[in-house]
Amino acid sequence: MTGARRIRRLLIANRGEIAARVVRTCTRLGIESVLAASDADVESLPARLADRVVRLGPADAGRSYLDVAAVVRVAQAVDADAVHPGYGFLSENPSLARACAAAGIVFVGPTPESLEAVGDKLTARSHAVAAGLPVVPGGEAADLAGAQQVAAELGYPLLVKAVGGGGGRGMKLVAGPEDLAHTFDLAVSEAAAAFGDPRVYVERFVSSGRHVEVQVLGDGSRAVALGDRDCSVQRRYQKLFEEAPAPLLPDALRAEMAAAALALAEHLHYRGLGTVELLVDRERGTFSFLEMNARIQVEHPVTEMVTGLDLVAEQLAVAEGLPLRLRQEDVVLTGHAVECRINAEDWAQGFRPSPGRIDRVVLPVGEGLRVDTHVQGGSVVPPHYDSLLAKLVVHGTDRDDALARARAALDLLRIEGVTTTVPVHRALLADPGFAAGGVDTAFFERFLDGHRVGAR
Amino acid sequence: MADVELVDVSLRDGNQSLWGATGLRTAHVIQVAPLMERVGFRALDYSSSTAMGVAVRTHREDPWERLRLTRAAMPTTRLQFIGTGFRFISWQNSHPETMQLVYDRLVANGIDRVVVLDPMHDMDAARETARRLKQAGVEEVIGALVFSISVVHDDAFYADLARQFAVHPDFDRVYVKDPAGILTAERARTLLPAIVGQLDGMPLELHSHATIGLSPLTYSIAPELGVEVVQVGSGPLGNGSSLPEARRTVANLREMGHTVAVDDRALGLVCDFLDGLAVAEELPAGGPQDFDAAFLHHQIAGGVMTTTRRQLREIGMEHRFEALVEEVGTVRAELGHPIMVTPFPQMVVSQALFNVIGERYATVPDQVIRYVLGSFGRPTAPIDPQVHDRILDRPRARELASEPPPPTPAELRRRFRRGTSDEELLLRAHMPEDQVDAMLAAGPAPRHFNPSLAPVLTLLRELGSRTSVHDLAVATPGLRMSVRRTAGGDPRA
Repeated sequence: MTGARRIRRLLIANRGEIAARVVRTCTRLGIESVLAASDADVESLPARLADRVVRLGPADAGRSYLDVAAVVRVAQAVDADAVHPGYGFLSENPSLARACAAAGIVFVGPTPESLEAVGDKLTARSHAVAAGLPVVPGGEAADLAGAQQVAAELGYPLLVKAVGGGGGRGMKLVAGPEDLAHTFDLAVSEAAAAFGDPRVYVERFVSSGRHVEVQVLGDGSRAVALGDRDCSVQRRYQKLFEEAPAPLLPDALRAEMAAAALALAEHLHYRGLGTVELLVDRERGTFSFLEMNARIQVEHPVTEMVTGLDLVAEQLAVAEGLPLRLRQEDVVLTGHAVECRINAEDWAQGFRPSPGRIDRVVLPVGEGLRVDTHVQGGSVVPPHYDSLLAKLVVHGTDRDDALARARAALDLLRIEGVTTTVPVHRALLADPGFAAGGVDTAFFERFLDGHRVGAR
Repeated sequence: MADVELVDVSLRDGNQSLWGATGLRTAHVIQVAPLMERVGFRALDYSSSTAMGVAVRTHREDPWERLRLTRAAMPTTRLQFIGTGFRFISWQNSHPETMQLVYDRLVANGIDRVVVLDPMHDMDAARETARRLKQAGVEEVIGALVFSISVVHDDAFYADLARQFAVHPDFDRVYVKDPAGILTAERARTLLPAIVGQLDGMPLELHSHATIGLSPLTYSIAPELGVEVVQVGSGPLGNGSSLPEARRTVANLREMGHTVAVDDRALGLVCDFLDGLAVAEELPAGGPQDFDAAFLHHQIAGGVMTTTRRQLREIGMEHRFEALVEEVGTVRAELGHPIMVTPFPQMVVSQALFNVIGERYATVPDQVIRYVLGSFGRPTAPIDPQVHDRILDRPRARELASEPPPPTPAELRRRFRRGTSDEELLLRAHMPEDQVDAMLAAGPAPRHFNPSLAPVLTLLRELGSRTSVHDLAVATPGLRMSVRRTAGGDPRA
């Protein structure tokens, strides 16, 4: 073996279900897993599953999961060969990637250059254009005059987006020219506060769009596309339900989207797992580039179900410097998979977080059923982090079969002690419009409005 | 002090020597493969035509599928196939072009290292096989020096063979194969340097079974005699009639001052998994062996010994084991001292079995007739003339002598349905077709095996077979499971 560095001990610098998920692959592969846990997580289920646990810092994420120096210090202290950043937190932070490299530790993710290229949304946009991808019409807005100039070309409504944002954060809708000046100023000051980068840009607002993303995997010289996922069921840009493959897409469009994602990955000489997010214009039957996420996604299991791959294992293999073991023709999609994100939230109270102690957990099991979770009876959901409890993932022969099996599985699943979003998923799966497939990103708010009317 | 590498034989020779070649299924192999990949073995002794036949016959599992899945799980560890070069699965010889097809398909499915084992040490045959292997794209071709104790098998004999391997470009390395485990440290001190002296830098590996407890000692001095790789079995698939156990070997080599660059934790996980598997499947674990001087006389390899004992037990003649071992020695001498390595031990032992059960040479297996006819090459020493005539003076011998040559791949393709893959074609051509049909009917092999779940699954299966059980609830801390029999009769979880 040449040029490859074997990972014997992996530090997992994350928490929650993704930490448990990474531990599971480590166990299967014989890699020693060390979980870096905050004070709030040292007794969590992932901490019990990992081979070792090491304290990362206080419960406050800023001083633990978001602290680059703390992560590197802990990785060195346990003599880890590599750091897996999971998703969120520092997963797309070039500083962590650079600090790991400086410490002689493998960062399980793309190169700092790739992270920078896609982390800055304007740079990402220009890379997408250079790779030949269609982008949503728009452009940089250095000041209000610039924004007004772009707006004049685009028309309204439009979006003002933070260059340092992403994943739905740092976006503002402008309905007409009368709102532009006010919203622009607000967006700049919020971007500066939230991302430390006041730059914004302006894009056309696509009213009826579907959020479809393509999973890619690269080894730095070659890349493969691992099918698409539909994540259009969103509330305030937070995904609730995902599925693979995206339903009701014309074959030609699907193939074009895969080719586009692959072109971008190859253009970037991308190494690692990545997701190219695309906005599908239902009316025009076209798509455009939104952004690229340089990490493993929350919704990766639906892709694993239909491809039969272990994406964490593939991610570790390319991080070790091994060439891709997959050719594009080896990627075969089987059936349909769906994922329900079950959060500790009260949907009747505007999805207010509902942290607390879990009394009882009953998980459905069976062929084609998978629950990725970090809770069990007695677990405490701390208030410091996101509210994701579990992901119910169901694989069926086709979409109808997957949805039917998901309904049955949801009826068996019990997470008691905190309020969860299970009832939302039951209602969603019973909705005929949703069951028909291919809903747009505005669907879920309409769906909620309908249920609020019905509920009161 | 030397850098010593390991080749692990658990999945092929370990399974064959200790578990009658039937212990391991696809799910076991796929589960342990990612762990083995992490250890840093130079290669795994992975498969043989016997192992492939057993997968189909005993487990109804596709050996080609198993190979592909293993390769996907272990991208960097070499996977070794061992073969004689003239047959595949069936005991009958195959057409040379069919053997070429076998090699081509093995490489396409993931094999990258092949041992050329000509038990007669027929170098012309070995060179021809090596040429075909290189043509198929095999990365590493290993010439076998099969160790035996006899008047002809002296150090000079092996040194001359080593020289012939070393000068031939189609061989990459050489190994001393000691199937009976009779290479003492004392003999190794003269034999191994004699071989190394002729290899001109070509690496030498050592493969010596632990059957009578000699090889752990031989291994610990082998690196100072020029051996670069020792072959081992992991956990329960080491020791006994298999090869020295991996962890003990690593510890011994390090104690002798050598470097063994393996991931000890991963090796421990491999051994733990195999331990759990052995317990769950009620398979015997190899243990350290007593020295047994009689072995130096009969030289029956471990796997053959186990299989023979089982066969005797099955026909209710286990009490004749000692007589059989004695007869094996006699038959071997009468047949010209073939080295006791596949396929000859099977051949010699089955002839001895017939001789013990009935009149000597009244019944002669086809393989023995073919051997006497010269199908396997020229015996190392002349066959006893009386035995020679006795064996050939029968109608079956005349039938076999006039057998048509084995079919070419083109003829095989005409014989079987169009659209049959080459992999399936090779199975159909060398096995009873109903066995291949049964394998295909069984569908893809299970992919998962968790030794710690095996007792629970066995319990459920047993309870499920009892129609009087309608409801079953199992509760342990952290797990509650209920099973109810539906009207249709199949239990559902």
